Amino acid sequence: MGGLKRKPSSSAKALAKSKKKKGPHLPNSILKVIANQKRPLNSDEEDDDDVIGSDDEHGGDLYEYEEGVPEEESRKNNRYDRHDNYDYELPDDFEDENVESEDDDDGGNSDNDEAEGDDDDDDDRHTRMLQSLTGMPSAAFEGESKSKPVLFTEAYPEGEFNPTRDVLEGKNVLTEEDFLAPLEGTPGYQKTSKQIARMRKDTKHVVHAPLPKPQRERLERKAVIGLVDEEFSKWVHLVKKNREAPTVYFNQDVDLGYSTVGAIASEFQPRTEFEKKMASVLNDSEVSMEDHIKDHNHIAKMRSLLFRHEFKSKRIKKIKSKTYHRLKNKDLKNSSLGALMDPEMAKEEAMRQEAKRVEERMTLKHRNTGKWAKRMISRGLNVKYDGPKAAIAEQLQMNANLSRKMNSMRDGSSSDESDDEEELNDGADEDTPSRLIAKAKEKTLKALEDDEVPNAGLMSLPFMKNEEANEEAKRALEEYEEWENSGGENSKKTVNVSGRRVFGATAKVEAPKESRKDSDNFYDDSDSDNDMAGIEDNNIEPVRDNASPARNTITETEKFDDDVAGNPASKTTFDVAMFASGSWKKMAGSKNTESKKASRKTRAPIPQAQDKKGWRDEESEDSESEAEQMVDGVLTSTSKETFEVPSQAELINRAFAGDDVLDEFEKDKEEVLNQEVPKPEKPVLVPGWGDWTNIQKKRGISKQMVQKHEAEKKEWEQGLKTRKDARLKHVIISEKVDKKAEKLHTTTLPFPFTSKEVFEHSMRMPIGPEFNPSTIVGELNRPEVVKKTGVIIKPVKFEEVNPNDEVDDEHPRNHQKQRPKKKTSRRQGKVKSK
Amino acid sequence: MRIKTISRSVDEFTRERSQDLQRVFHNFDPSLRPMEKAVEYQRALTAAKLEKIFARPFVGAMDGHRDGISCMAKNPNYLKGIFSASMDGDIRLWDIATSRRTVCQFPGHLGAVRGLTVSTDGNVLVSCGTDCNVRLWSVPRPSLEDSDLSSEKSTEPSAVYTCKNALLAVDHQFEGDLFATAGAQLDIWNHNRSQPVQSFTSGSHSVISVRFNPGEPDILATSSGDNHISIYDIRMSSAARKILMRTKTNSIAWNPMEPMNFTAANEDGNCYSFDGRKNEEAKCVHKDHVSAVMDIDFSPTGREFVTGSYDRSVRIFPYNGGHSREIYHTKRMQRVFCVKYSSDATYVISGSDDTNLRLWKAKASEQLGVILPREQKKHEYNEAVKNRYKHLPEIKRIVRHRHLPKPIYKAKAESRAMNDAKRRKDDRRKAHSAPGTVVTESHRTRRIIKEVE
Repeated sequence: MGGLKRKPSSSAKALAKSKKKKGPHLPNSILKVIANQKRPLNSDEEDDDDVIGSDDEHGGDLYEYEEGVPEEESRKNNRYDRHDNYDYELPDDFEDENVESEDDDDGGNSDNDEAEGDDDDDDDRHTRMLQSLTGMPSAAFEGESKSKPVLFTEAYPEGEFNPTRDVLEGKNVLTEEDFLAPLEGTPGYQKTSKQIARMRKDTKHVVHAPLPKPQRERLERKAVIGLVDEEFSKWVHLVKKNREAPTVYFNQDVDLGYSTVGAIASEFQPRTEFEKKMASVLNDSEVSMEDHIKDHNHIAKMRSLLFRHEFKSKRIKKIKSKTYHRLKNKDLKNSSLGALMDPEMAKEEAMRQEAKRVEERMTLKHRNTGKWAKRMISRGLNVKYDGPKAAIAEQLQMNANLSRKMNSMRDGSSSDESDDEEELNDGADEDTPSRLIAKAKEKTLKALEDDEVPNAGLMSLPFMKNEEANEEAKRALEEYEEWENSGGENSKKTVNVSGRRVFGATAKVEAPKESRKDSDNFYDDSDSDNDMAGIEDNNIEPVRDNASPARNTITETEKFDDDVAGNPASKTTFDVAMFASGSWKKMAGSKNTESKKASRKTRAPIPQAQDKKGWRDEESEDSESEAEQMVDGVLTSTSKETFEVPSQAELINRAFAGDDVLDEFEKDKEEVLNQEVPKPEKPVLVPGWGDWTNIQKKRGISKQMVQKHEAEKKEWEQGLKTRKDARLKHVIISEKVDKKAEKLHTTTLPFPFTSKEVFEHSMRMPIGPEFNPSTIVGELNRPEVVKKTGVIIKPVKFEEVNPNDEVDDEHPRNHQKQRPKKKTSRRQGKVKSK
Repeated sequence: MRIKTISRSVDEFTRERSQDLQRVFHNFDPSLRPMEKAVEYQRALTAAKLEKIFARPFVGAMDGHRDGISCMAKNPNYLKGIFSASMDGDIRLWDIATSRRTVCQFPGHLGAVRGLTVSTDGNVLVSCGTDCNVRLWSVPRPSLEDSDLSSEKSTEPSAVYTCKNALLAVDHQFEGDLFATAGAQLDIWNHNRSQPVQSFTSGSHSVISVRFNPGEPDILATSSGDNHISIYDIRMSSAARKILMRTKTNSIAWNPMEPMNFTAANEDGNCYSFDGRKNEEAKCVHKDHVSAVMDIDFSPTGREFVTGSYDRSVRIFPYNGGHSREIYHTKRMQRVFCVKYSSDATYVISGSDDTNLRLWKAKASEQLGVILPREQKKHEYNEAVKNRYKHLPEIKRIVRHRHLPKPIYKAKAESRAMNDAKRRKDDRRKAHSAPGTVVTESHRTRRIIKEVE
């Protein structure tokens, strides 16, 4: 505000300054002396102060002059003696705005001139005062104090309001001495002059004028502001803590007393003798709650059983019918319960059952082998009429039942075996062939033994003896032994087993085998899985061959198969055969010379088998099988066909020979594009639309439609071009907007969040009771302010808060204060934990 | 072989009482519930809609005064009692809970009663008015018989002190026995003295409102007719701070939970939140009223405040939010001169020119009465879910939507148009002048001229 106004005066100041420097340069001490001497004589600097001081004392002046700091007080260069300042001292940095605003025309700011020194200041001010009083240019007064006197003619006659120039300049001003001079020599003079001198020295008792009111108020306010701010600042930590707390609780101060029975009970203290006894029993007994509950339950169960039994027997006893009781007794005898009771009866029962079954199997009575059934079937009556059909079905069912019973009995053992088989297979990796054979032998033996168990009772019957199966098993055993002896040399009779599955398996594999022969190259390079299958064939085939010699025709074998199905022993042997074959597979996998040998041996009987099957044309090839070698478990004929490893690309080409991926992808992309940016339909001339009758000539598609179509097309093209994947040939970038998902997004980032991630994170985890355990749900859903209707909330009370403490949300949730608990008993703990 | 079995201990599943809920176990695997966000969004949407459906904030009106209600006071010690005074000098004590009737009358004032306050212990009611009198009344003790009696009691003042000038406001110190009256000057009184203990004069304009700080009982804030807001410490002889604003401040409220912060209800329709330590700029400008804000009162939780305006509406603002969360209005409610937030932060009471006191719920859709814990949990969940998805457009729209009376709606539209035009103009001016020469002043400082040193 004063910036502009002060500019002219600053130049004057600068001038004054330069003038000042021209003065004689004297040492400080001399200057001091001079100053002291001059003082009473009103040097130009002091003069000003005096005049203005007197003005201030008179008070009523309209013009308030800004008082500069006297030289004594400013203590520049230690020129003056130190003396106490009893006046109010403004702080150095105090800015005086009010005054500036009041007398703007003054233009001078004492506070801003501090840097320039008080001497300059005084001169400057003096000059300005003169200027304002006389209305003459400031240049007229410049340097008058130091330079030669200039003659001025006064414009006005001298008077009270028009002081002479001398007075204004501070020269020839009247002082106390002037007044005292005439009194000199009079009796009281000495005393008076002394008093005056003392008064002048004594600055203690000088009472200064009070500061102007606005200034004073400002100072007061400043002091008060400091105090009030301090008061406010002490709350900061508490307020911050409250604000940052996730939840503020206003329901804590309410004491509603006890609310639950448990709470009341927890406070209970035994007083009387009886109560104490009870408490000691309850709290100190060793019986745990669980045991007690267990006992209790057991007793309850027993009681209820007893009760029911009693009830039942009572009811039965009430029945008077004799026939009922007779039948009941009979039943009891015949029933499984009775049978179980009596071992003799049980045996008998079992025998009967078994005999029935055996008979069924022997006679095949119910397998439509009867005369009647044969007739029915031969004439096709069973298809024609329902009666015979049902009867035959019934027979078959009966047969199935009778034979199935045995199967089911065997199921357990077979599943056991399968378990064992797993075991075997697991362990077969390191198994040597001999060990495997040993195992197989063991198995067979076991099976035989199993068979022999019933020999004592029922199975001792002549027809029950499954001679063939046993014989087979025994033969297998023998062979194992042989094998063991010869080190697996004689593999021709390795496994003498027959089985349905063997046939099935060979039948399945035969076709690929053939193809393999055709395109050997191709298969040779394929995965080892296929090879394994091939090996299996090789192993299994001789098995069948070996089994067959006993029965030369295939029909015979089939028959035998049916028998085998019902025969545990043969089944087990079959299983054994399977193990054997498995072991062979493994053997082939491990490059054991022995195994190689064996495999070569097994290979030998193949021609025979193939003869039977009628593959004579390949005989010549197979005769050279000696040249064939086992390479990585695959039989390959290296002798004749040259093998080239195809390149990777070729392989891939071969692998994906069928499908054209690129074309497919292009089609897909087109589809997606069509879906997202649908191609506009071409306007078509629909007969009957757009014209009256046939009479009127057809005008073709209207111009408007064509235009519209073109516009649409352009838009469509534009749409295609602007897509992100427009230039990416092998990429589809979907720009489909999911409208349902759109509502879960905002267009802009909401206010308190600073980044998208934070915002998304805030909604990531669900807070509902279905998605969170009930222990957390409360905390997740807690509102910011927890209050209770009807509870008066008091204003905040001051408490010391450590600002470094973490904000804890460990406030208790319960709404009432519980009285402090003195004793924690077991029960109480339970109540609390609930 | 591995066998999987379900084993559950009997202890965990046995209920202690037959009323206990059966324990249910959930699998909280998020992969089992892939649609959780969509589900919760839908719930939030439903909650927002339900909130709208159940929003019935108006509890009741209390009729009895014969002139516009000028001021109110709540009993800090008793929730049910609320005092109101009207322009014809009538002072009444209301029972807002059960009967919503006048319990007691305090006749005596000859002119309009302009100030009403109750001591913190709830025993002394102080009233002052344009008849230059300060009257102290002893508040009748609430008892069971009072509610039964249909007749209204009336009491005599326990003390009458007379001043030279009309009095415009009075407020009682929190937990002390001093109260301050505002008129031509600010006077601090003691209950037992007929003369003010202390007086503060400032300028030639009268003081129009005074409010003691609840947290710091010795500090009070006043607003005066010359657009000043001043903070005093009654232990000192002069004001601590003075803010000069462009328009008059009608009322001031201190935040009861944050003793350094106060909010001023301004004549220009905005409320300004200040930090008592830094007054160069407001901490927050709360805009929504379209006419002068006549009165303001903070919720005792310190998180919200209620304002009553000359535009015939009552609004509830968050303490740090720029816009109101709620507006209450009825067809019959006229200019609102005084509002109060109940001491349990559950209700809002407004007194208006139409001689009625109105009782509102602070949360429009809040369920009153006893709430079972499960209900409470459900409410909390709804609130949390709504709060979580409040930024999503649909929910935002539903939550924000309020039906406004036509005059307010029109005035808002108008003021918006004006503001937009002004902003556009400013933007253009800024764009066409040298950078840095045109400085747009922030809204928080625009209406503040200066802080008086």
